[in-house]
Amino acid sequence: MTALLTAIALLSLFAGRLAPIPLAASCLLPAALFLLPAGRHRHGGGPVMDACARRSRLSRENAGVKAAGSLLLLVLCICSGSPWPPLLLFCFLSGVTLLWGKTRPHDYLSLLTLPAVFLLLSALTLLWDFFPERPAGAALSVPFFGGWLAVLPASQELAGLVLARAVGAVGCLYFLSLSTPLPELLHAARRAHVPAVVTSLAVLIYRYLFLLLDAARTRRDAADSRLGYRGLRRSLRTTGLVYGNLLAHGFRRAGACYDAMESRCFTGEIAFLTRPKPVTARLLLLLLPAVAAMLAGVLLLR
Amino acid sequence: MTAREKKFLCLSTVIAAVLCVPGAAFAMHIMEGYLPPAYCVAWGALCLPFLAAGVISIRRLTRERRKSLLLLAMAGAFVFVISSLKIPSVTGSCSHMTGTGLGAILFGVPATSVLGVIVLVFQALLLAHGGLTTLGANAFSMAIAGPLLTWALYRAGLRLRVPKLAVVFVSAMLGDLLTYCVTSLQLALAYPSPSGGVAASALEFLAVFAPTQLPLAVIEGIITMLVVMGLESVAKPELRELERARRRLTE
Repeated sequence: MTALLTAIALLSLFAGRLAPIPLAASCLLPAALFLLPAGRHRHGGGPVMDACARRSRLSRENAGVKAAGSLLLLVLCICSGSPWPPLLLFCFLSGVTLLWGKTRPHDYLSLLTLPAVFLLLSALTLLWDFFPERPAGAALSVPFFGGWLAVLPASQELAGLVLARAVGAVGCLYFLSLSTPLPELLHAARRAHVPAVVTSLAVLIYRYLFLLLDAARTRRDAADSRLGYRGLRRSLRTTGLVYGNLLAHGFRRAGACYDAMESRCFTGEIAFLTRPKPVTARLLLLLLPAVAAMLAGVLLLR
Repeated sequence: MTAREKKFLCLSTVIAAVLCVPGAAFAMHIMEGYLPPAYCVAWGALCLPFLAAGVISIRRLTRERRKSLLLLAMAGAFVFVISSLKIPSVTGSCSHMTGTGLGAILFGVPATSVLGVIVLVFQALLLAHGGLTTLGANAFSMAIAGPLLTWALYRAGLRLRVPKLAVVFVSAMLGDLLTYCVTSLQLALAYPSPSGGVAASALEFLAVFAPTQLPLAVIEGIITMLVVMGLESVAKPELRELERARRRLTE
């Protein structure tokens, strides 16, 4: 379905701007890319991105610098007035994530299908508009309930820019999240003076969510083996019962955790140890030129 | 066009809308980089008072009762887990709950707003749902607007002595629908239609996401109702403890 959406969105985006053969190629090639991970993307199996971040070679680099660089690039990306800087940034950061970080291409492509669905659906709403009369100069138009659905060149430009910005921003986000384990980012947030109660809550949530995911998986498998998910009505009832039971189990677990912490002189402050990671020249050599190039691109290509 | 042809066209449109539901229809997060910078800042600024109030009340609560920190963390992890697990869906798509309606009913609005923002950051970094620049807009629709309506309807329903499970169903469903409407409005405000302005654009976004979001809202209402029912039968003491914590948070 993502491949089909991609082909339709790209056809709407480039119709009237490219000759038929390049147009067909630009629609079908990106669409074919989404067919590669088809049927292999799974939900509910735990956060895949966390595992990728821990495996990445980039995880040896300083988390604070990676976070600051990525956020700066993100902001520059959405400020860009031309589609080219964000698109080039996406290619550059994807290359870094895949070649330096050694993230598996299949995992990367599979993760890209998630934002792709939202982006393509939203791009279609930006591209296609309803008009009572057939508009002059429309790149594409189809009759629709007494009026016309049409794609105007101005809509193509806007949708192209929005898509490019979003693709660049997704590249920045993936560079950060596929190279930095979350506890390191939370440690960086603590150093950036985010309120302690928020970072403590976030660290505890991170630790508990794996316990709960594991408990949820066990309960779901148990219910499934008793045919608890046969039919919509029974599935809904089982899901509700599993979730209710999961929360009760979670609170009991948190109570036990609190007792253990109290017996170890818990004073309300939670101290977590982190391994110090020095700032390396190669990380700075990677991020500083990228930021400078993006800044130049944003300022010059308005 | 004859009446038979019109019926055929309508039927084919409905079938296309149902079958063209994307494979991954999670709660409506605005993706990373989709909003212009001014809108990212504006929605973020709008969330700040709610977050400040939430942080202050949670800090006060955890100072008084240290165990609350762990209970709230578990609640946050629960909201993350239920928003990442697949739920049964009538359209055959892979749908997820927002979980914040249940959060508002169980933990109150101040706690849900702070937990919601933490969960949204986790979803962006661990699941690629939403993003960091769109955090403000997503937080407003999912962690503030939806939970506020759910909470208001839930309290009003209980005061009017409507049966509890019916109130839970209606408030969770309408809270989810409001989240979807606010997200569509946020998208339309950022990108108004050249022919019809913000209203036409909002209608377009509502129509595009309706095939997944409308059934999802009903399912979220049903599951929230079943979770509350299940909790009342297996976790009465924990619910009483939560009620005490919630009262302190809203004081």
